[in-house]
Amino acid sequence: MPLQHFLAHLLNLLLAVPVTRLLNWVGHPPIDPAAPIDGVFTMELLAVLLLLSFFVIVRLSLQVEKPRVAQQLAEMLEEFVTNQSEPIIGDKYRVFLPFITTILLFVVVNNLLGLLPDVDTATASPEVPLGLALLTFAYYHWQGLKENKAGYFKQFLGPVWWIAPLMLPIEIISHIARVLSLTLRLFANMFASDLLTLIFFSLFPFALPVVFLGLHLGVSLIQAYVFMLLATIYVGLATAHEH
Amino acid sequence: MRTLQNVFMTLSVLCMAVPAFAQAAGSSSNSMVPLAAGISMAIASGLCGIGQGLVVGPATGALARNPGARPGIFLFLVLGLAFIESLALFTFAIILFKVK
Repeated sequence: MPLQHFLAHLLNLLLAVPVTRLLNWVGHPPIDPAAPIDGVFTMELLAVLLLLSFFVIVRLSLQVEKPRVAQQLAEMLEEFVTNQSEPIIGDKYRVFLPFITTILLFVVVNNLLGLLPDVDTATASPEVPLGLALLTFAYYHWQGLKENKAGYFKQFLGPVWWIAPLMLPIEIISHIARVLSLTLRLFANMFASDLLTLIFFSLFPFALPVVFLGLHLGVSLIQAYVFMLLATIYVGLATAHEH
Repeated sequence: MRTLQNVFMTLSVLCMAVPAFAQAAGSSSNSMVPLAAGISMAIASGLCGIGQGLVVGPATGALARNPGARPGIFLFLVLGLAFIESLALFTFAIILFKVK
């Protein structure tokens, strides 16, 4: 698809110098100083722009009497996320709706953009799911601290005090493993689906691989749903009060 | 008769084994790697399939008995399937990063 190459080229024309300088300053000089922005970043940016324009359209066309298409879509989305998160988090779920919905939408849009032929899937490169997983990690710890104050650290120490030396390493490892599993699940699913379509296209380059594109579509939606669900569960666990 | 059977079985096993050993010792180093990748992925996806079947069977049974419990069952069904699938995907990721 020429759009991605066009957009990446345009971004490189505009921003190559400051981005290269920034990367050099951070200590990771780009492979090609003239084109530091790759296809993955371009697709991420495209997804962000699509989502932002969707939100702006919804905000500008809010109506009570005659809701437009965008507003109905947004209401369906809100209802879906509410139905999923209220049983898991409990009464105070509304605070976390923006984060959960944003994660869901970003992953969905990136996965679906990757369905287009000859386009880099942003979620099929390990950095993007890692970023999302680290964001989720930071977010649920922050919300847990805000909700439970110092009592949040009691969650790591187990039910009775003498088991704490055993529980603390286990809890720390399991929290870090959450980042690993969130990253690997999304990355490997999207990468494997891409690869599957490609392999069957090389075996039989006519019509049959479309079936696997259908499979890829299903996997994209389910993985975005699973990512959202796990983020919700982690937030729910972190903000739960002890009884 | 029994001894002859044992001898033939041992011989047939040796027929399978000798080329494999010869190949490992003879060629350089990486000739077994694609084989190992294929076998490990086959084991992982086969066991993953058994596990997912064990999840889906009772879930559909539960849905047939009590269609009203659909949201709760669906939640745990998707979660369980995702966790089981991610185990096979860990194997895939290891193969991906280790096999060059």
